[in-house]
Amino acid sequence: MIKKIFGNKSDKAQVSNNMASKQVRYEALVRALHGDLFRYGYWLCHDKHIAEDLVQETFLRAWRALDSLKDEKAAKSWLITILRRENARRFERKRFDMSEYDEMSVVDTQAMGNEQDLENEMLRDKIAQLPEEYREPLVLQVLGGYSGEEIAQQLHLNKNTVMTRLFRARNQLKESLDDEPMFRGQFN
Amino acid sequence: MNEKMDDLQFRRSIYANPRTQDSDVLEAKKSDPAKKQFAQSIEKLDQQIHRAMDIDVPDDLYNKLMLRQTLASHQQQKSKNRIQLAMAASIAFAVGLSFNFMQSSNAHTNLSDYAFAHVEHEAHLFNNNSDAQITLASLNDKMSSFNGNFTESLGNLISASNCDFGGITVLHLVYKGKDQPVTVFVVPPNSNLNFESDFSNGKLHGEAQQFKNASIIVVGDKNEPLNQWKSNISKDINWSI
Repeated sequence: MIKKIFGNKSDKAQVSNNMASKQVRYEALVRALHGDLFRYGYWLCHDKHIAEDLVQETFLRAWRALDSLKDEKAAKSWLITILRRENARRFERKRFDMSEYDEMSVVDTQAMGNEQDLENEMLRDKIAQLPEEYREPLVLQVLGGYSGEEIAQQLHLNKNTVMTRLFRARNQLKESLDDEPMFRGQFN
Repeated sequence: MNEKMDDLQFRRSIYANPRTQDSDVLEAKKSDPAKKQFAQSIEKLDQQIHRAMDIDVPDDLYNKLMLRQTLASHQQQKSKNRIQLAMAASIAFAVGLSFNFMQSSNAHTNLSDYAFAHVEHEAHLFNNNSDAQITLASLNDKMSSFNGNFTESLGNLISASNCDFGGITVLHLVYKGKDQPVTVFVVPPNSNLNFESDFSNGKLHGEAQQFKNASIIVVGDKNEPLNQWKSNISKDINWSI
């Protein structure tokens, strides 16, 4: 204790130095990864506002624990882990509201202009309607660029399960798009 | 399966990862036009999935995140500062207390202890055959801080300097003695040290007298007639105030 107090006193300059470098690291982390995190959060909860809250909570926790992040390369996985935990916490606080994404999809499809946007929006609906266990590996693969092994690690599944879920996710998307007149025949 | 990937296996691999670099899958794609076409259609689907998932990030999210962190760390810093201030205050308080304590409880509590310690510490510096001789005038110059002076020299003065009795400045005089040098200390009044008029440690003995403006201590070896010194001091010293 005494050592700690005196250590603090004599290392004042170093402490503020560390603070500054922590700030720099944090800023770099936010700049590089907040977009990915937001998108990932969005695809977990299908709500931009909730996704923003999730990202805010995630980065706040990341700031507090930044010293424990030794490997910058692992930063993204680390943040995703925090965000998933935050999302799970959200469900603990408030029991799952099934109507959540239905509402959102109604709102968002309205003001669409060109065909590309329409197509994107249609596909977003389909992605949102995927069972979560299929959607999450897909989001990690597509947005995170993770391999099957990495996804398996992140989600605590084995790799074969992950590959099967990825297969089912795309398969379901394809099938549901094949039912849509706009997409019909595109993927045959 | 090494030779030729069956169709189901191929489709599963493509669905699971359209961008797979698996050599079996690549090989199958190359050798079978139907498989190639299937792969391309799923690649197209995958591009669409990428586009669809790549939703816009709110423009102000970065700024919001930075602001939130700044506020949070400011909050943290404030409470940390408060704790540090409190700690600094208690340390200062403790240091103040112990300083006072140390001031009043020095290594020695008796004048006699200091006197012996100084004599023994400096014994090697002086000897009875020293040629040094300090004049009465320069001695009286030093005595002026005590508002006193000697009318006549007590003997052959070898050294006159100030020394420290646990924070108290004392005039330290060394005279030639009978066998060994004799040390006389002039100690200012108001010291917290205990006064003993007669003390001894087997090798040295000392006697002290209290005067108006100072206490005077004489320390010498066993053969030294300290009474003689004491009476000379009483006779020769003058206090101006």
